Amino acid sequence: MSSDLAVSATGLVKRFGNRRVVDGVDIAVPRGMIYGVLGPNGAGKTTTLRMLLGIIEPDEGERTLLGNDRPREVSDHVGYLPEERGLYPSMKTTQAIAFMGALRGLDWRTGRNRAVALMEATGLGHATDQKIRKLSKGMAQLVQLLGSVVHQPDLLVLDEPFSGLDPVNQERLEKLILAERDRGATILFSTHVMAHAERLCDRLAIIAGGKVRFEGTVADARATLPFKAHYVPHHPNPGIRALLPADAAPEGDGWRFTLPDEGIEGTLVKLIDAGYGISGLSIERPSLHDVFVRIVGAKALAEAEALEAEAQP
Amino acid sequence: MSSLARLIRQTLTIARRDFVATVFTPTFLLFLFAPLMMVGFGAVGGVGAASISKSGDDKARIVLLASGESARTAVAADRQLRTMFRSLEQPPRLIVENPGPNPEAQGRAMFERKESDTYAVMYGPLDRPQILHSVNGARSASYLAALADQVLRTQRAGTTAPLSEATKIVVARPGASAGGQGQAAFFATTALFMISLLLAGQVVGTMAEERSNKVIEVLAAAVPLESVFFGKLIGMFGVALLFLGFWGTVVVNVGSLLPVKLATAFIDVGPAVGLPMFGLLFVAYFVTSYMLLGAVFLGLGAQASTQRELQMMSLPITIFQVAMWGLASATALNPDSGLATAAAAFPFSSPFAMVARAANSAEIWPHLLALAWQALWVGITVTVAARLFRRGVLQSGSPGLRLRRRAST
Repeated sequence: MSSDLAVSATGLVKRFGNRRVVDGVDIAVPRGMIYGVLGPNGAGKTTTLRMLLGIIEPDEGERTLLGNDRPREVSDHVGYLPEERGLYPSMKTTQAIAFMGALRGLDWRTGRNRAVALMEATGLGHATDQKIRKLSKGMAQLVQLLGSVVHQPDLLVLDEPFSGLDPVNQERLEKLILAERDRGATILFSTHVMAHAERLCDRLAIIAGGKVRFEGTVADARATLPFKAHYVPHHPNPGIRALLPADAAPEGDGWRFTLPDEGIEGTLVKLIDAGYGISGLSIERPSLHDVFVRIVGAKALAEAEALEAEAQP
Repeated sequence: MSSLARLIRQTLTIARRDFVATVFTPTFLLFLFAPLMMVGFGAVGGVGAASISKSGDDKARIVLLASGESARTAVAADRQLRTMFRSLEQPPRLIVENPGPNPEAQGRAMFERKESDTYAVMYGPLDRPQILHSVNGARSASYLAALADQVLRTQRAGTTAPLSEATKIVVARPGASAGGQGQAAFFATTALFMISLLLAGQVVGTMAEERSNKVIEVLAAAVPLESVFFGKLIGMFGVALLFLGFWGTVVVNVGSLLPVKLATAFIDVGPAVGLPMFGLLFVAYFVTSYMLLGAVFLGLGAQASTQRELQMMSLPITIFQVAMWGLASATALNPDSGLATAAAAFPFSSPFAMVARAANSAEIWPHLLALAWQALWVGITVTVAARLFRRGVLQSGSPGLRLRRRAST
């Protein structure tokens, strides 16, 4: 395994009973990148992350974390925000952050000092002396995130970090992730919200049904789908259909169709020559959402979005 | 940092968190002063019982129907005989009354009096006395018979003065008596059981906190579960030590104020290995018994996912503890029996059995062996508990088993 990879896994399999929750996952996360693991709920993202971290053992396959095939050996260099957030309610915020750092080898005094600095930098300076039980859910989640970075890990693993956060805290979190990347950390996070992945990820993997369905950059993902054109004729007429590409479908006052490989110019010339004119024309780049829908399926996506809506504060 | 150093650091981090989270709460004060409530209730109960007992003692009596010289001699003899009894073993107060024309009827009537409890009545000539006694007054009847015998001896000697004058010399026994060692064994086993029962039981619910707060995922990702379990054990052991330190200091200081006479009551009670070594061994066995039982409780408690399950577990846990104590205390007076060896070998009764052995036998080497054996079992128990937790709660196979499977294929 190359040491240029912060995380690598080949053929990871995990069964719960007779169900293969993770079914031969391969992942390679280069150091210094923000890497997204995308997938609908139940796709196997969390189980994959837990196996990578050594919380649970894979039934088959191998993985390395920061070049070590025993994840526990490098746990001091890893930060982790689990999907199910957990803090001791009776602890004060700075104590909680320092405690999480101490678990990863940071001495308590440094942990407390860094906790105060991190909280102030993240806009939580007013809560440095508060008990966890007094915090809102979003604030507690941010405190836990700070606890996972307080020891300045080389690898930060975040499981659905945006889940349950309001837009203000989502923005804070995005800034924090980017700051960690700028510090030199590798960030691996799972999500089923495409917007965050689109904005943050250098590379991503889309998991569905326990298997990796796509792996590459956001641009690579978009490239799997052609550009779309939306054309609105100046003089609409049913005969126009014959001049449009085969997949053209009516949408509003116009037509939507895949941009032909040879370009749209030829089609436009034919439409103008036939007297239909151009009232509107837009070329649309496929979004990660489109790619995700194609790979995962519209039904799975709808389920994931419903779950996301439920999780919103 | 080496793996071992990291493991120790992680364990102590967990221990520190648990210790602080337990001690710096108002609830801890309740826990710390709980024995005061026990002592308070005990005192109230004791005062009540003593009052009832005193009231009974005041009414209890034995009666001699005699007059003249015989009555006076009997009173003197009674005074002399009573010096042989401890205060709690004294016969009922002797009442002397003049005999009537029908002493038997007079005696029987005394048993019917409501203002006193008559246990025995003696009448007739002292060389052939008649003694009436209640169902539970047989010992009182025997005392009256002995009293009659003594009165006759005094009368035949012609003097109430002692016929011999003994010189009493106190001789200190070198060490405890054999019976005293047995008593020390029983006391030590019981004391060890009581503090283990009180303190190790606290560990049962500690993992429930991590499970309900979802903190377990954070811990499991950062440190090995064995460290989590050991850390919790050590943290709660720190709490137990604080508790014992506090109450130990109180008991020692209160003990120094007790009358010397009370201390001499236990002069024959002592351990065979000597008091300082026994103290060390007692502490060592407290550590191992706490760790062993605590590891079992922690492992069982970690499997419980609700408070109800946790409560359901407390009964079998207590039965298990009492069984271990029963096994060990049964061997306290028979240290060389096969049962004693079995109790010493079985890891969970071993600390109790071995502390009894320290009271009964002066050999030291078996204790070193036993402590190492018990420490090994602490490790085994924690490892098994962690693996059960990993497999049952975190839903993962054990890495060790997985590696063995791989190696065999």
